[in-house]
Amino acid sequence: MNDAVGASSAFPLPLLQSGENAVIVKVGGRGELHRHLETLGFVEGADVTVVSEAAGDLIVEVKGTQVALDRSVASRIMARAAA
Amino acid sequence: MGIRIALAGNPNCGKTTMFNDLTGANQYVGNWPGVTVEKKEGKYTRDKDVIITDLPGVYSLSPYSPEEIVTRDYLLEGGPDVVINLVDATNLERNLYLTTQVLDLGLPVVVALNMMDLVRKNGDKIDVAKLSKRLGCPVVETSALKGQGMDELIKTAVDAAKKKAAPTPDLRFVAEVEGPIKQISDLLGSRVPASTARWYAIKLLEGEQRTIDSLKLPAADLKTIDAAREAMENALDDDAESAITVARYDAIGDVVAETVKKSAKGLSLTQKIDRVVTNRVLGLPIFIVVMAFVYWLAISVGTGVVTDWANDGISGDGFLYTGGGAYEEAVGAWEEEVAAAEEAGASEDELAALAEEEPDPAEFGLWIPGLGAIIGDALESAQVADWMQSLVMDGIVAGVGAVIGFIPQMIILFLLLAFLEGCGYLARVAFIMDRIFRRFGLSGKSFIPMLVASGCGVPAVMATKTIENERDRRMTIMTTTMIPCGAKMPIIALVFGAIAGGNTEETWWIAPMFYFLGVIAIIISGIMLKKTKMFAGEASPFVMELPSYHLPTVKSILLSTWERIKSYVVKAGTIIFLSTIVIWLLMNFGDAGEGFGLLDQETELQYSLMAGLGNAIGWIFAPLGFGDWQATVTSITGLVAKENVVATVGILTSVGELGETDPDMWMAFATMFGGSAAAIMAFCAFNLLCAPCFAAIGTIRRQMESAKWTWFAIGYMTVFGWAVGLMFYQLGGLALGEVSFNVWTVVALAVLAGMLFQLFRPMPAVKKAGASEELEAGAGAAA
Repeated sequence: MNDAVGASSAFPLPLLQSGENAVIVKVGGRGELHRHLETLGFVEGADVTVVSEAAGDLIVEVKGTQVALDRSVASRIMARAAA
Repeated sequence: MGIRIALAGNPNCGKTTMFNDLTGANQYVGNWPGVTVEKKEGKYTRDKDVIITDLPGVYSLSPYSPEEIVTRDYLLEGGPDVVINLVDATNLERNLYLTTQVLDLGLPVVVALNMMDLVRKNGDKIDVAKLSKRLGCPVVETSALKGQGMDELIKTAVDAAKKKAAPTPDLRFVAEVEGPIKQISDLLGSRVPASTARWYAIKLLEGEQRTIDSLKLPAADLKTIDAAREAMENALDDDAESAITVARYDAIGDVVAETVKKSAKGLSLTQKIDRVVTNRVLGLPIFIVVMAFVYWLAISVGTGVVTDWANDGISGDGFLYTGGGAYEEAVGAWEEEVAAAEEAGASEDELAALAEEEPDPAEFGLWIPGLGAIIGDALESAQVADWMQSLVMDGIVAGVGAVIGFIPQMIILFLLLAFLEGCGYLARVAFIMDRIFRRFGLSGKSFIPMLVASGCGVPAVMATKTIENERDRRMTIMTTTMIPCGAKMPIIALVFGAIAGGNTEETWWIAPMFYFLGVIAIIISGIMLKKTKMFAGEASPFVMELPSYHLPTVKSILLSTWERIKSYVVKAGTIIFLSTIVIWLLMNFGDAGEGFGLLDQETELQYSLMAGLGNAIGWIFAPLGFGDWQATVTSITGLVAKENVVATVGILTSVGELGETDPDMWMAFATMFGGSAAAIMAFCAFNLLCAPCFAAIGTIRRQMESAKWTWFAIGYMTVFGWAVGLMFYQLGGLALGEVSFNVWTVVALAVLAGMLFQLFRPMPAVKKAGASEELEAGAGAAA
């Protein structure tokens, strides 16, 4: 499914630095975690801002809330640069 | 007829606070998601016919987590008359995701727009009338924290329940999704009530097995639904569930854009704080400093003024509130006089006369006699039998007194933890710790129970419920009680005193050291257990909503502190009360050669039943440096409740009423181990790490839901505690020159080598189908 995203501008979330923002393109994978992330607001087109970053673990703001993600989870979320 | 109100909302949006407001209940409120796991019921304080059910916080009504299932089952089948959907107004978009699902259930709904005061403070505006129109249900502004808007909320909810009016939301999804929903709800026709048709249609479109099973549709209909789903998935190039989630958020985005006016925003305060406290470099040091400060304050202030007061006032002779200086001087002068008289070879009569002249503290200021002294005087004047006086004074007052004397220290600790928890810092700590915990196979969420464990193991084991992954949960249950709980703090204080010998300035580090010993024991256990077949597999992913920082209310801090203190006080009044009597009996009865009977405590203690018991199993602890019966007995009573360790030392050394902060107690305790620092450390390590108290073991049994796992957990902890104690005594003692090389040194080295092997050998290949499918291959790279 990830290849549908395909655009060269999409990158996994941990590449963002503290303070940078982006727009979510896709949440990879299936199953419970995928569903949970979407429920929390990690859906296509949502704006995310990285509040804090430590070795790939992130605290991001999405849909007005701060959510902490570990690196493996954050790597599933593909984003593109904010317009 | 009563009206049943269900309280539903996102985790940590203030449901429990509101529930407490409405029902006058005092449920514990934490500032992190998932504090309420089970639903709770209460009656509205102003109208007992209104019954309110507090449901666990959920983000959606899909049936996956235990909280979601509890909430969903109650809403669908529990038959509430009306749902109050509590919505955090500062975070409308995410909260409305649940709201849009609740609105589809066909039940009357009232939305409580909570934390509106904060929205105004931020300079934002919400058009409540328009929001109410779009959601198709009444919207009431509230502030659960300040108790505002509650009456209106309940009145609106009761009205809605009486009208039985289902919401009429104006929330259309994109055409590609809305089409198939319409198609399926037409197909369902009259098989479900019209007001719930949309709920069932969406669930069938998502392909949710639970709903499909419950409706028992004919195969032809299921085929039609599958076709509709497939068509939608193809049209949107997305799986059905994701497509509906996106459509739902789109519709919400539309509502929010129309009703919310945000003021121009820079970084919020929460973000500014998080920049610092979760910083990759500063995060961990800040946490260590904060925790060291908390424990330092609890120990120094707790063992200082406050505990002195409690010890003297409750179980000691009494306490002088004013004029203390003058009294001290008078006593000093009197002591010198006595010493001088003794030196001068005064007769016994002269000394007795001098003793009469001991200054009476009551003459120097406000003197409140201690409870122990009052009871002692009362017994004496009532001419109660000597053995009975001994039972009450040496057994019960000494035992329970030592425990009660420690409460002030615990209150300070819990107040500080409650503040850290209430302001939102602890949720960040879970995030900070996740990076570390991940390396030994636990998630940062395991840290929350461990933090509670520094108060009491019972609520800590219960708090493991919020860990979704079963392996993580079991491992957390097995290790969490290794954190020094409140009841173990007196042991630490006692050991601290015994080793420091009163020199508290230079050896302050001993107390935090035992706290970190707990953490290190958990880390080592985690790594070792992770490499066994039972726990192999990837760590569960860490996803956690972080609450905004805010100042907790005084009430919430006090409630949280009381919640934790309560279990301790109840134990002091029941289990410990009884066990001090049993211990006294075991110590005072025995056969000293003249038949079974009451023993003289001065000379015949070694013949007591207790000594016999201690001697019988002392060999187990001999390699740990405390094989004599006194120390062994102390460890046994620790199983009943850890507070007993100090109480028993008190009884055994007949300085019971002094408590763990008294230098005489320290001396007596150190003498029990022949003054060996290594033996004292080994004793402390074993008692901190071995099986927890009976109450905690009972809780472990309930949470594990398996006798086998319970025994495994207890067995592991005890063996691990013994092994650590062995290494402390044999290897530490060797280094200090207190122990010479012997066969147990070899055993200790072998244990150490075994642990190191298990710690550093590569993860053995264990076939575990399905366990790690959830995670991408890159997950392990975090280390």
